[in-house]
Parts: sequence; C-alpha cells; structure tokens
Amino acid sequence: MIGLTPILLQTHPLEGWFFSSGKALVVLAVTLMLLVGFGIWMWRAEARLKKMERLLNPTESNKQ
Amino acid sequence: MAQNIWKTAGFALIAYVLIMVFAVPMGPGLLELRETGENTNEVVLGSNALEYHLTGFGTHWSEDPEQLQVILRSKKNLALLNVIEVLDDTHARIGLSLPYSLPSKSWDVLINHPIDGTLLLENGLFLSDRFVDESIVLPKVSIVEAEPNLPFHFPYQPSILETIRNLMLHVPMWFTMFVLMGIAFVASIRQLATPKAIAEDEKAEAAVKVGLLFGLLGLTTGSVWARFTWGAWWVDDPQLNGALVTVLVYSGYMVLRNSLESERLRARLSAVYNLFAFIILVILLMVLPRFSESLHPGKGGNPGFNSYDLDSALRAAFYPAVLGWILIGIWMYRINLRFTRLNKQLR
Amino acid sequence: MTGSSPSSRKASSWTRYVYLTRHAFQMELRQKNGLAGLVLFAIAAVYTCYQVAGSRADADAWNALAWVVLLFSAFNAVSKSWPDDSPEMRNYLIHVVRPHEWILARITFFCLLLCGLTCIVFLAFTLFLGTEHLSGNQGLAFFGGMQLTAMAMASLLAMIQALAVRANGGFGLIAVLGLPLIIPVILIATRYGMEILNGVAFLDTAHNLLFLATLSAGFGALGYILFPYLWSD
Repeated sequence: MIGLTPILLQTHPLEGWFFSSGKALVVLAVTLMLLVGFGIWMWRAEARLKKMERLLNPTESNKQ
Repeated sequence: MAQNIWKTAGFALIAYVLIMVFAVPMGPGLLELRETGENTNEVVLGSNALEYHLTGFGTHWSEDPEQLQVILRSKKNLALLNVIEVLDDTHARIGLSLPYSLPSKSWDVLINHPIDGTLLLENGLFLSDRFVDESIVLPKVSIVEAEPNLPFHFPYQPSILETIRNLMLHVPMWFTMFVLMGIAFVASIRQLATPKAIAEDEKAEAAVKVGLLFGLLGLTTGSVWARFTWGAWWVDDPQLNGALVTVLVYSGYMVLRNSLESERLRARLSAVYNLFAFIILVILLMVLPRFSESLHPGKGGNPGFNSYDLDSALRAAFYPAVLGWILIGIWMYRINLRFTRLNKQLR
Repeated sequence: MTGSSPSSRKASSWTRYVYLTRHAFQMELRQKNGLAGLVLFAIAAVYTCYQVAGSRADADAWNALAWVVLLFSAFNAVSKSWPDDSPEMRNYLIHVVRPHEWILARITFFCLLLCGLTCIVFLAFTLFLGTEHLSGNQGLAFFGGMQLTAMAMASLLAMIQALAVRANGGFGLIAVLGLPLIIPVILIATRYGMEILNGVAFLDTAHNLLFLATLSAGFGALGYILFPYLWSD
C-alpha cells in the first residue's frame, strides 16, 4: 500500500470531472467495500460448508 | 491455512486492481486540429496563413507555453507550425502557412512539449484544396523528441479515453469464463470415461454455472463500454455475436440438464453436449473473429488488444486483474460444487 | 424390417452401414405425408418471404431470406422422430449394429435429405423471389454454398436430434440446443452468400467453403466419437 500512496495523491485539474472532483475515490471506496463484503461472505459460506461436511461425514473429515 | 492463500490472493489482487482503476490518472493526448475559417492577423506569418484550433486532452501546455511545438508529418516530410497563443492547458491557437504545392494532403499532427512528451494525432489534418506533388521535399526541420515528464498514468487512446479503465473489468470476465468452461470441458471428458459415477458431471455443472455468470458480466461490461465508445449498447460485430452465442449455447446446456430426470443419463448426455459447446466456444471466440472485420480492439486479426496497445501501466493493472478474477472464479466454482454435493447428500 | 437383415456381426461394417442408410430412406419414403410436410413447409416459408419482400428484395435481403428459409426448413425436417428412434428399436439395434455405423448412416441420411430439401428451397426461392441478383455462374456458386451448408447442418443436427430423442425433451429441445450451435455455420454461409452476390470472384471467397467443409467434418467426427455414449444404457 505504501507504494501506491503517490498514485493516490496525484490529481490534475484536467483529468475530467469524475476523476478530478474526487468522486472516483468515493466510487472506489464503495466498490472496495462491496468486494471485501463479498470475500467475507464467500469465506463464511465455505466455513459453514466445511462444518456441515464434517457433521455429515465424520469419518472422512479431512477430505477437503 | 497455507492452501487458502490463493483465495485471499484473488481478492487482494482485485482490490489492488480497483485502486489502480479508479486512482491512476490518464495520460495526455491530442483530440483535434480544427480550422477556424479565419485568416490569422499575425503579420509575421503572411497574409495567407490560416488559423487552427488545437485541442488536447489532459495536456499541460500552460505550464511551459513557449516550449510547445506543433509539427506536421507525412512520411518523411516534416513541417513546423506556429503556435500563436496557448489559451489554456488543452487549447492553443495555431497558424498554418504552408506553400500551395505539397507532397501530400493528409498529415499526421504531432506535438512536442517538455511535460507531455511527443504526442501523435494520426491523420489529424486534411488539406483538401492543395496541389499534390509527391516529388516535393519540404525543407528539413530538426526536432528533438521531448521525453515526457509525467507521473504514473494510463495511456491515452483515441475515442477510448477514460474508458480504458474498463479493460480491467471487461476482458478478464472472458478469460475467467474461458478457464471455467475449460474446467467443465475436462470434467465432461472424464465423466464420459467414468459412466458409473456422476462426480465429474457435478463439477461440469458447477463450472458452467459460474462460467455463465462471468459470461453475463462480460456482456454487461462490454455493452456499457460499447455505449461510450461506439455509441450503441449493442453493435453488429463478430466478436460480440460470438460472445452472445456462447452464452446461449451454455444456456442450452442448462436447459438440457433440467429436462432430464435420470441422474446418470443426464450426466452422460450433458457431457456430450458440453463437448460440442466448448468446441463452438473456441470457434466463435478465437477462430472466427480472426477471419472477419471487426470494430472490436485489434480489428483485422487479433480479437483482443494488440500487444503494443498495452503499455507498462496497463499491464501492471491488467495482468493482476486477469489472475485475480480467475482465482475468484475458481473459488466460486469450488464453493458451488461443494454446496451442490452437500445439498444432494441432505436430500 | 425390410430387406435382408444384417443380424449377424459377420457382415462387414460397410454392409451394415449401407443397409442402415437404405433402411432410413425406406422408412422416410413410407411416410408420404411426412415428406410432403417438409416440402410444404419449405414452399410456404418461401412464399411468406415473397409476400413480405416480393421481387423488390435487394441483394442483402435476398441473401438473408434465402439462408433463413434454408435454416428453418432444415430444422423442421429433422425435428421429428423416426421409427428407428424408439427405445424398443434401439434395444434391438444395439445388438446387431455398432453405434458408429448407425450414426454414420444417420448423418448420410440427413445429408441426402437436407440436400434434397435445399434443391427444393433453391428452386422455389429463385422462382418466387427472382434471380436478378445472380448472374452467370453466381447461381451455381450460391447453390453449391447452400448444399455445403446443408451438409454441415446435417452432420450437427444428426447428433442433436439423437440427443433430443434420448432426452425425451420434445423437439423444442432440438431448436434450443441446435440453433446456437449452428450459428457459426450460418455466419460463414451468409458471408459467403453476400460475397457471391456482391460479385466477388469464386476463388477469392472459396475459403469460406473450405471452412464450412472443415466444420461439417469436425461435427461428423465429434458425432462419430461421442455417439456411442449417447446410445448405450
């Protein structure tokens, strides 16, 4: 992340309204939140799947 | 834990790509050189000099206005134009005083500037009322190409402009779909080799489901991109038709699955259809576009971007995007597969 | 069954293949109304086009209508089941012939059926919509392209029809599964047709025909390899 900081800081008045007004960063924040939420959701889904697989097949619990 | 690193890596890569997509600025470029229809009032240029307006995109001309050079190029002939006045960062008034007889009517426009470097507008100027004599050689102009002095940026491309950022969200969808359909293809072959079990068929189904999702996302992102670069949500183009038909073929696969009751027969028949589907996918997305004219980037040959269109900044975002989306796709496929199996076990 | 039955495995593959092909034709010819239905569909489709576009159709429309009529006539022709497709018949045939003999016979039958149908479509089409866009050898080149397209469709649809029969999914399934798969063939065929109508020299556009032939050979080979999996229980 440290390497990306200079990229984040550079703005220019002529980058167009979306990118110059900082709106792009708001959109970035929202998309990042969505992405992280999706990742956590998948992680938890997998954890729950693993739990149920263990419940159903106690003998072969180390399958996955 | 160690075997789960790739899952986190997929999301980390996409997070990095999103930061690039929204935070990296665009590089400068030239938009147009337009005739104003007036003679310049500058005494130095003579009475027949015409005034032109040069428009740039994201350029920095006001920071060093004396250093701005505007050059015309046609094959080996170069001609220097006069910059009358730099209006602001992206607009300048240009005076054109060329002889009546010229080696060509169509000229490339170049600019040289210490910050923006050398920028090119291909066929930016067309002089319709000049006499063409190809033997004319214009007096030599010596020009030193300026090295751009710019921060990290995405390259400017005519008519694509800022939408180049969509490259990281559109193209990897097709790559991921391709990988998932490849997984389904291999699973289908193995299903045919093991007729007694249906494990491989479950894999193929899960992979096709997730692959279809990525295909639909690819169509959506492509449609939005087409709206902003070509002006229509859908255009008649081999690459687009191929993509749509691929999605239809795999929807047919899902219809076939749903119309079969017996598990083993379903496994066998859908495996057979899936082999046809994958071969059609390869023909439609990789073979046919190479044989037909296309609006799609890299027209006349390559269905994707040409390699020289991808500069280092784009590569730094594009390759991680491809890898990240593929990893996420594979993870989604594995969760889907385990969910289906568990569901069957519980029923 | 008619004729001498190839019931023993001693008979050569070729004999059984020829027998199966002939048998398919006998079955088809026995159902006169089925054949009449095909021809009627094709002619009705052409006549509808004539009513819509008349002889005013420009080259683009003429080309598009010709391929659309051919495509839908072909799908109509194969969207039914033959007596051979019944489970009882399959149970019998599975013991006397090999699956690849059966599929090759079916592909041959479809090829000849669709080529015959193409002749009717082409005749009816040129009769109603005129031949003003075809001059000299263009008609021959266009007709040849249609025949090759019919063969490519036959080699794919033989497999899709068998799949739909096996899935008991009704014949809507043939359209759902077959139409998307046939689109590459139609794309190439329409491009070829357009180039012929635009007066491109035959040799400059013949690569499209080569492409069509490759596709039909590919579909045939896939059917040959995969059909045994469809047939067995």
